[in-house]
Amino acid sequence: MYLIRRHLFAFSVAVFLFLPAIAGAQTWEDLTPVQQEALAPLSKEWNTLRTLQKQRLINMAKRYPQLNTVQKQRLHNRLEKWSKLTPEQRDRAREKFQAFSKVPLAKREQVKQMVRQQEAEKLNTPASDPAITDTP
Amino acid sequence: MKKNELSHENIKHLLNHSVAQLERPTLTRLRHAREQAMARYTARYVEPVFARAGHAVWHAFGAQHKSRLWATTLLLAIILFSATAYWNHIAKSDTADVDIAILTGDLPIHFYVD
Repeated sequence: MYLIRRHLFAFSVAVFLFLPAIAGAQTWEDLTPVQQEALAPLSKEWNTLRTLQKQRLINMAKRYPQLNTVQKQRLHNRLEKWSKLTPEQRDRAREKFQAFSKVPLAKREQVKQMVRQQEAEKLNTPASDPAITDTP
Repeated sequence: MKKNELSHENIKHLLNHSVAQLERPTLTRLRHAREQAMARYTARYVEPVFARAGHAVWHAFGAQHKSRLWATTLLLAIILFSATAYWNHIAKSDTADVDIAILTGDLPIHFYVD
């Protein structure tokens, strides 16, 4: 009886410690159809992604139904590249995005215009990327 | 029917009356038997699992007052550290708004990546 109780205690502690990992162990098949559609470009590599990254992508996929067609296309175009960045690069990108959001609107528009021009020159084809075509 | 039933007071009175009539050697034997039964009951009593684990940790730090103080401080520090780490983890995990804005915004990703 004492041994059973001791093992039960050890098992409970192990379950408690590994609960976040167990909860985060979501395979591609576990995702809902909407989540699968949102994260479709990552279907092949999904099971190789880290738990935290999966959780963040799932949280992001919740916003997918509210996106318009162009935004959905941009998301699909960029997801693979985004997932291949290192966690540090993604954190840095978030910081830069938040810093850029604080820049005055006029200045932001100037920068956007400049980047669009550079992109168009690089591609040598006018307005082929959704990032360039869908300008508010 | 009610008359035949004994109340607690009646039972207590009867027992006290009976005890008063017992001889001293009998009383001594009864007291010994009671003490032995109580000792066996205490030995059989099993502490709850968490209490036992707590006692084990407690004894590991010794019975000294200072050691117990250190053990309590250490436990509090661990709890505080774990809570802070967990809170930071949760706060850091909630990046969905920023991520979706980067991935669906006008500017390409490499604008934000070094």
